[in-house]
Amino acid sequence: MIKKYFKTIGVIALNTFRETIRDRILYSLIGFAALVIAAGLLAGSVSLGQDLRVIESFGLTAMLIFLLIITLFVGTQVVWREVERKTIYLTLTKPVTRDQFYLGKYFGICLTTATSALIMGAMFLLEIYFKAHIFSVPALFSIIWMIFEVWLLTALGLMLSTFTAPLSSAIYTFCLALIGHASTSIWQIAQKSPAALKYILDVIYYLFPNLEKFNLRNEVVYAINPPFSQVWTTVVYFIGYTALLLVLGLMAFRSDEF
Amino acid sequence: MLKIKSLSKTFYQTKGEKNVLKNLSLEVKKGQVFGFLGLNGEGKTTTVKIIAGLLFADKGKITITGDNSREKIGFMSENPHFYDHLKVNETLSYVGELFGIEKEKINIKIPELLKLVGLEKSAETPTKKLSKGMRQRLSFATALINDPELLILDEPLDGLDPLGRLDFKKAILALKKQGKTIFFSTHILADVEEICDEVAILHNGKIIEQGNPKKLLGRSKKTLEEFFVEKVTQND
Repeated sequence: MIKKYFKTIGVIALNTFRETIRDRILYSLIGFAALVIAAGLLAGSVSLGQDLRVIESFGLTAMLIFLLIITLFVGTQVVWREVERKTIYLTLTKPVTRDQFYLGKYFGICLTTATSALIMGAMFLLEIYFKAHIFSVPALFSIIWMIFEVWLLTALGLMLSTFTAPLSSAIYTFCLALIGHASTSIWQIAQKSPAALKYILDVIYYLFPNLEKFNLRNEVVYAINPPFSQVWTTVVYFIGYTALLLVLGLMAFRSDEF
Repeated sequence: MLKIKSLSKTFYQTKGEKNVLKNLSLEVKKGQVFGFLGLNGEGKTTTVKIIAGLLFADKGKITITGDNSREKIGFMSENPHFYDHLKVNETLSYVGELFGIEKEKINIKIPELLKLVGLEKSAETPTKKLSKGMRQRLSFATALINDPELLILDEPLDGLDPLGRLDFKKAILALKKQGKTIFFSTHILADVEEICDEVAILHNGKIIEQGNPKKLLGRSKKTLEEFFVEKVTQND
């Protein structure tokens, strides 16, 4: 029974993956990202003795930006598109619960973003190898952390898309991603603020996702392996926050009519 | 096989409320071909969507007998839509997998179903290239992939040419012989009399007439279409 439950989620996830991976816009985005990552070599060549650091920082930032665009583009549209094109009827009229459908969609998008990240990541690691003849373990960690980050943002975008239009949910997800990356600054400002403002900033800091936990760019640039305690707290944070977003999204999706 | 009791559904729109179904009750017995008739916008699709689980009823109950009832239902929606990235055979395979059917069995079943619905030459055609009639045929095939005991078909004749309608009638009668129960909504009455054991006329959210089409018409020389128009205008 449990096996069949998860098998159905797998069938929907695989179909979602096939649907999104065949999208020409996704190819264009990955292609463009590859070009930008490669352009890091040029940026590195004009720096004074810091070429590897520039390539690493440039490449990781480019990857994150393109993965964020893919997440916003795919994550916030997939369920809406199913409803709009009425393809949702094909699935939901079968022995499939709304939870299975929603989770299948989520994992399908995760497969797409992970595939995109792995293609870009492989190019990035090759670029580092080409430049310094080293295999950068912190860079590999950073790519994995980036995948976690976009998976969390996918859950956020998917949840928002259950009750807002795709453009709105893309804008909200983007804004929350910006806030999430400013969380360290928000906390620092909160410490120096008057009580009322501190309270508001504290709420923002604790409520919104802290995406800086997934930022390992400094570790990569300075070739430091992240400590084990940081690894497991980040993994627990990712699982907990993503699960919460998925549950909230499921609660909204269960009452939707089509 | 299918029992609907006191089903009510209201849609809330900017223009105000619309009571689409008002205490709708009906029963479809095992092995019956049941025609659910009504004008456009009378609530046929709403009823079908509630049975299929796409909409929630405000009130009322739907009972489908049999174990794992959802696994034994075949559903065909009005104006079917498919994933553009899938071909005809891939679409059937996807639906089969949703039912948990083994891949080998699906691969055996697909050519049989495509032959039944007359799409055997279109197995490798992307669904986005199918005409409306071909989409209807594919949708009918997806409804049959799990060898269902109960078939719920929403406007299955819509978009079919005369040949397609004839094929559909033959398929329905063949399925009836196999003991399947078929519930279908339609506003095309020409073929209903021939294939239905029972019909119900839905008007203003209520069943205004129900019974065997031949018995309903009795000794009058009216066609079902004339009978339908008469009943609808009487109840306006």
